[in-house]
Amino acid sequence: MSRIGVFVCHCGENISRTVDVEQVAKAAGEIPGVAYSCDYKYMCSDPGQTLLKKAVAEHKLDGVLVAACSPRMHEKTFRKAAEAAGLNPYLCEMANIREHCSWVHEDRDMATAKAKDIVKLMVERVRKGKSLAPITVPVTKRALVIGGGIAGIQAALDVADAGHHVIMVERDPSIGGHMAQLSETFPTLDCSQCIMTPKMVDVANHPNITLYTYSEIEKVEGYIGNFQVTVKHKARSVDESKCTGCGVCMTKCPKKKIPNEFDQGHGMRPAIYVPFPQAVPNTPVIDRENCTMFQSGKCGVCAKVCGPGAVDYEQKDTFTVEDVGAIVVATGFKLYTIDRKPEGSPIQGYGEFGYGTIPDIIDGMTFERLASASGPTGGKILRPSDGKEPKQVVFIQCVGSRAREKGISYCSKVCCMYTAKHTMLYHHKVHDGQAYVFFMDARTPGKGYDEFWRRAVEEEEAVYIRGMVSRMYQRGDKIVVMGSDIQVGTQVEIEADLVVLATAVQPQDGADLLAQKLGISYDKYNFYSEAHAKLKPVECATAGIYLAGACQGPKDIPDTVSQASAAAAKVMTLFAKDKLERDPVVAKVNEKYCVGCFACKKVCAYGAIEEKEIRDRQGNLVKKVAYVNPGVCGGCGTCQATCPSKSIELDGYTDEQIMAMIEAL
Amino acid sequence: MNAKANKNQVTSIEPAYYQAITEAIRKEAVQILKDETVVGVVGYLPGRRKGTASPALVTTVEEAEKLIFSPACVNNLSVYLTKAKKGVLKQGKVGIVAKGCDMRALAGLMTESQLQREDLFIIGVVCPGVYGFGVERTGTLTEANIARKCRECTVHMPEGSDVAAGTHTELADLTPEEAEEMARIEAMPQAERWAFWKEHFSRCIRCMACRQVCPFCYCEQCLCDKNRPQAVESSPRPAGNMAWHLVRAMHLAGRCGGCAECERVCPMDIPLNLLNRRMAQELKELYDFEAGLTPVEKGPLNEYKENDDQSFIK
Repeated sequence: MSRIGVFVCHCGENISRTVDVEQVAKAAGEIPGVAYSCDYKYMCSDPGQTLLKKAVAEHKLDGVLVAACSPRMHEKTFRKAAEAAGLNPYLCEMANIREHCSWVHEDRDMATAKAKDIVKLMVERVRKGKSLAPITVPVTKRALVIGGGIAGIQAALDVADAGHHVIMVERDPSIGGHMAQLSETFPTLDCSQCIMTPKMVDVANHPNITLYTYSEIEKVEGYIGNFQVTVKHKARSVDESKCTGCGVCMTKCPKKKIPNEFDQGHGMRPAIYVPFPQAVPNTPVIDRENCTMFQSGKCGVCAKVCGPGAVDYEQKDTFTVEDVGAIVVATGFKLYTIDRKPEGSPIQGYGEFGYGTIPDIIDGMTFERLASASGPTGGKILRPSDGKEPKQVVFIQCVGSRAREKGISYCSKVCCMYTAKHTMLYHHKVHDGQAYVFFMDARTPGKGYDEFWRRAVEEEEAVYIRGMVSRMYQRGDKIVVMGSDIQVGTQVEIEADLVVLATAVQPQDGADLLAQKLGISYDKYNFYSEAHAKLKPVECATAGIYLAGACQGPKDIPDTVSQASAAAAKVMTLFAKDKLERDPVVAKVNEKYCVGCFACKKVCAYGAIEEKEIRDRQGNLVKKVAYVNPGVCGGCGTCQATCPSKSIELDGYTDEQIMAMIEAL
Repeated sequence: MNAKANKNQVTSIEPAYYQAITEAIRKEAVQILKDETVVGVVGYLPGRRKGTASPALVTTVEEAEKLIFSPACVNNLSVYLTKAKKGVLKQGKVGIVAKGCDMRALAGLMTESQLQREDLFIIGVVCPGVYGFGVERTGTLTEANIARKCRECTVHMPEGSDVAAGTHTELADLTPEEAEEMARIEAMPQAERWAFWKEHFSRCIRCMACRQVCPFCYCEQCLCDKNRPQAVESSPRPAGNMAWHLVRAMHLAGRCGGCAECERVCPMDIPLNLLNRRMAQELKELYDFEAGLTPVEKGPLNEYKENDDQSFIK
């Protein structure tokens, strides 16, 4: 006969408010095999755990059931306590009478009856439970960082500085991301490139960092501590090992009028190019779409002028497989555009702003490039249509953001601050100009942020108009901005020379596809989901994968850097151990009865099931059966449900346990 | 035989046609045994009583010359490659005589890693039909004695076999008795349908002949024989009977090849193929899947596709 202890928790009043916990404890005590039962206000507290440990010793318990909250909350806590009392931790189970009972019911009698039932069936599960030993798997102490913006750079440098090898994969020809595009940064107005480029160079020079630019993630296999990542190295058409970065090819390239992505399409670049002068690596790439050689087969100027012979038109995409133990995802953001969206898209464009057809309506990032000394105008604020200096500039906040009717309900977080910065930069460069800002409200939580915004309003002469813009259209060389001022309660019409939209921050294109390769979850906007909004903000629900920066949600630079360092810290914590302990709740095959139909293998989402040959002593094949790699098994139980002869079972959730639970009801 | 001419008429297939198939099978079987392509051929030999046939494994040329094919060759021989004669395949490649419906079973067994195509030499039979059960075996197959499954056969051309025996290309258009019966049951009110099956299952004596003859019941220990934990009551009482037949139907969903052997061997005349066909219909409607003559990588129930019907989630 088993000796099971049942410990019923009040959870303050969370449970006891709707469930008569004393009655539940009393009823539990009457179940055959239950040697001890009690109730306590906070079982998870130190005295609660002591009570559990004492009871195990005094009543010689061989199984423990804690009727309290969800096992996701405190299973670890109580298993630790049971282990400290000398029990195998897997003989301790939890009956969830909070989330599954008290929180969802109002009728006290009915809820109490249900709690008793939940306890009753969980007692059966404890009774049929088995001692399990944790599984240990080796940890590959190399990290992969996806994305070479400030988030990726910070995470990579931190992990590399701790002495671990890091592989950084960047989609574009250079690292740097959006931060390299910015002119000056709030709230200190320091030059973005001046603080960014040294970090980029650090990445390139770091002995522990292998940098793969112009590369993408092709495939991800494995699990925490043991990922195998296939990286696709797109053909650069320039041999990185030979190129000296002299730049002759770029000056000689006859095709020079290609809009430069780095300058938001407002500057020009040749077909063989580096995105910007401080690019890391300083190795050009041939844009095959626009290169005459690739399009018509006639040109080859760059190859002719290249001293070291680095230009290689025949280069093909190559693939490498990297073994890593942890992955930091830092793929960043893109900006919403007001363009017409494809039919059926959940996100809409702005027809009232002309769907992006008016040249002097630009977005915030374009303004950054206009204001940047390295930008297409050399740092002069000149409008795109005719290159004239705009004297009246209208800034509009929350374009796309907080606009449910356009399909995005979230706040993009950075726009209030950067619009305030834009008005200042404009005021500093065009002294006789006037900046107007249409805004809903200014959100300035952050150190020195509100002071910065007040400065824009009070000292830098920006006129803030609380209200929305309903329409914009071209009249002559002006843009008529029709909006409202809700504080005065009137309609406003401004003839602007330039309009700057603070458009919403969206996840990068293909964020969902990458998430599917990684097996991590994402929300309806494709932002990646953290494991817990408050307590696990950098971890993914998938073990061994961490998030940094705007790929998780809109973020400014300080927040991004903090999160990147936090992700790096999590990676280092993982790498601090040589072996990783895993929950032994994994599937096991009954080889005697397995007939090798491999239905389990077909449904296994983790790729944990292999074919195993059973041979007799003479080496003759007896049969083939399924084998579960315990390091890979995720313990989901799909195989158990699929196996027609029930020859595969999940430890801790055996058929015997489940049937006993059903029969107890 | 000109089947086309017989369309919409009472079918009558002369013994001569079966004789032609028999000759073809013998020729192939002798050939592959002679050149040692195979170690044996699973086929039919004449039964002890006149007009019957019984499954056999022949390993010599002399025996192969006695192989036959007649309307009495009702058995699905694929079962002899898995559980009934498990050792056969270990000796080497094996030849097997297979009707279209049997070939579906072979394909399913390949899908489920129980057979390898390269271990088999399939002598496909262009089958004009076999006898039903409890009918008069007159030597000539007519509408009066043809099996119910053969009335609606869609796989009489054994595509994918190594060789095909027979030439029959079109079947006579017969009344689809089974489909009509299915429609009749489908049209019943739920309670009546429940009563229909309850009555049938209550007669079950749990002899397990249906399991024994089914090519897909190859488990070494059937879930329904397990007693720790016991999922299905093993004695022939109504609740356990119902559970057994439902488990059987569910386990065959998306796998059953429609050979209807379970129904043929049932001593209590439970119309089991109606259940199997109903499950197959379900899979056709939900996943556009039909058990075919060639193996697939994954059956529809072992695979998730984004466009899968999810209307069952409520």
